[in-house]
Amino acid sequence: MPAVQVENLVKTYGDGTQAVKGISFKVDDGEFFGFLGPNGAGKSTTIKILTTLLRKTSGSADVAGHDIEHDAQIVRKLIGVQMQDTVIDEDLTGRENLMLQGHLQQMHGEELKERVNELLKIVDLGDAADKRSAYYSGGMKKRLDLASTLVHRPKILFLDEPTTGLDPQSRAQVWSYLKGLNQEGITIFITTQYLEEVDRLCRRLAILDHGEIVAQGTPSELKSEIGADRITLGFENGNRGDGTLKDKAKQVLSSLGGITEIVDSDEGIVIYAKNGGFLVPDIVRAFDTAGIKLASIGVSSPTLDDVFLKHTGRRIRPEEIDKSRASGMFGRRRR
Amino acid sequence: MSFASDTYYMFLRWMKKLVRNPILLFFSLFQPIIFLVLFTQLFSSFGLLLGGNYTLFATAGIVLQNAFSSAFQSGTAIVDDIKSGFLTKILATPASRSSILLGRLLSDAFRVFAQSLIILLLAYGLGVFPATGIFGYILILITVAFFGLAWSGISLALGLRTKSAETVFGIAGTLTFPLLFMSSALMKPDLMPKWMQTVSSYNPISFAVNAIRDLIMTGYVWSSFSQAYGVISLISVITLGATLYEFKKVVS
Repeated sequence: MPAVQVENLVKTYGDGTQAVKGISFKVDDGEFFGFLGPNGAGKSTTIKILTTLLRKTSGSADVAGHDIEHDAQIVRKLIGVQMQDTVIDEDLTGRENLMLQGHLQQMHGEELKERVNELLKIVDLGDAADKRSAYYSGGMKKRLDLASTLVHRPKILFLDEPTTGLDPQSRAQVWSYLKGLNQEGITIFITTQYLEEVDRLCRRLAILDHGEIVAQGTPSELKSEIGADRITLGFENGNRGDGTLKDKAKQVLSSLGGITEIVDSDEGIVIYAKNGGFLVPDIVRAFDTAGIKLASIGVSSPTLDDVFLKHTGRRIRPEEIDKSRASGMFGRRRR
Repeated sequence: MSFASDTYYMFLRWMKKLVRNPILLFFSLFQPIIFLVLFTQLFSSFGLLLGGNYTLFATAGIVLQNAFSSAFQSGTAIVDDIKSGFLTKILATPASRSSILLGRLLSDAFRVFAQSLIILLLAYGLGVFPATGIFGYILILITVAFFGLAWSGISLALGLRTKSAETVFGIAGTLTFPLLFMSSALMKPDLMPKWMQTVSSYNPISFAVNAIRDLIMTGYVWSSFSQAYGVISLISVITLGATLYEFKKVVS
């Protein structure tokens, strides 16, 4: 039985905006599934529908084997949901936050108390358990939030950008908890801007753009679809080189064979080419003859970043997203 | 049963939040004291006009004025829960939807109950003892709590609709004093200008004030009592109906 099975899911908002345009996909039981896409692609809308927080317009979706509308109450008992912003009650202590979640999941007595103690230990909040969560650091709040989605031992965990806005250390910690949870058998459904972690942890992923799924598969499948290596050329003056230098370099490059694409970038010039490693001597020789000084040259296999760029025409830059979210927390559109 | 236990835990959450929020707690406890002492001192010479003790007269009005302004905080609390995403978090659990509202309403009623008790105790210190005795106290407290519930509905509906604490506060602030002054809460309608008397006679606050004032000053006056309950019930149906309607829109 798949953990999530979505068929032709459509969501049209009251104002006529079609946020999700008939998507279909499947997440297997126990999978670590990445759900990627640029801002406004419809990721959060999809997560809200799958977690019973928003009504779909048409199509069907089963979560943990139950229809999300017909069996919404059953689905709610089987899933844990972490939304974009950290949501805890800061007037309550860490322990009280977890107890409340447990109570609302119909857990009681010793069983609940033990489960809460266990979770507090897992997320390293044992010492701060009885302090008001208002006094927690950002990372601690996020860990408490994560723990609060786990009290009732959900089978599937939905996470909407769980690490956005965290410092690198807390981020790494959250990813390592998620990895551990997945190893225990919990299915993870995650949206995130951090492609390196997706590459490392997600078994499969889907890329959503303008409400449609534009690619899905395992990270290595998607990367091999790019079919080309990435060669980055750096020039002097902090690698960028001036305009005329770049133009001249591009001219030289276009005379070489085997190059699929030449792109201007912040790093200098980026070339996509099959078997890029073999091309390096040619490039160096050609530049030498033309009298262009190279400051650096690097070859890498395609990354998920390239995959994302290919399918959406955009790059993900987590740092910038962090900044814009921090300043616009309350101006955010409710979607 | 999960509905009852969900309601209890939501209620408990609000009570903890109230007790742990020093500013909120301070205003919750001292607002009634300030109202009672300041109003009755400021207007003490009205007692001569009214032919009696003003504190005795005004206690009913102050109890209700306090309930009225307390009730308006309910909407801002729900706005906080919407903005922070906490409401969404609860909605992602199997918790009964209606328990979310009921838990909040019960905590409002409980708070108004406690505040009114403080006012009545303080008033007792100032020489006010209901003509209906101990049982009168109980009836007064129940009536005020019921009244508070009816008005909480307005604030909740506004909060759910506008999702803006400022709007709820703005509307509450604008409504409170006109409604209070154009009622029998602080002044006998006979002594008001004609137009104000008319407004006052239709003002829901007046009905509730009259019933409680009778319990304090006269005794059991069933006509005023049943009228008050009729009016409060009517308001409850309207405001809580509106709240439920707005809540359903937010939830689905």
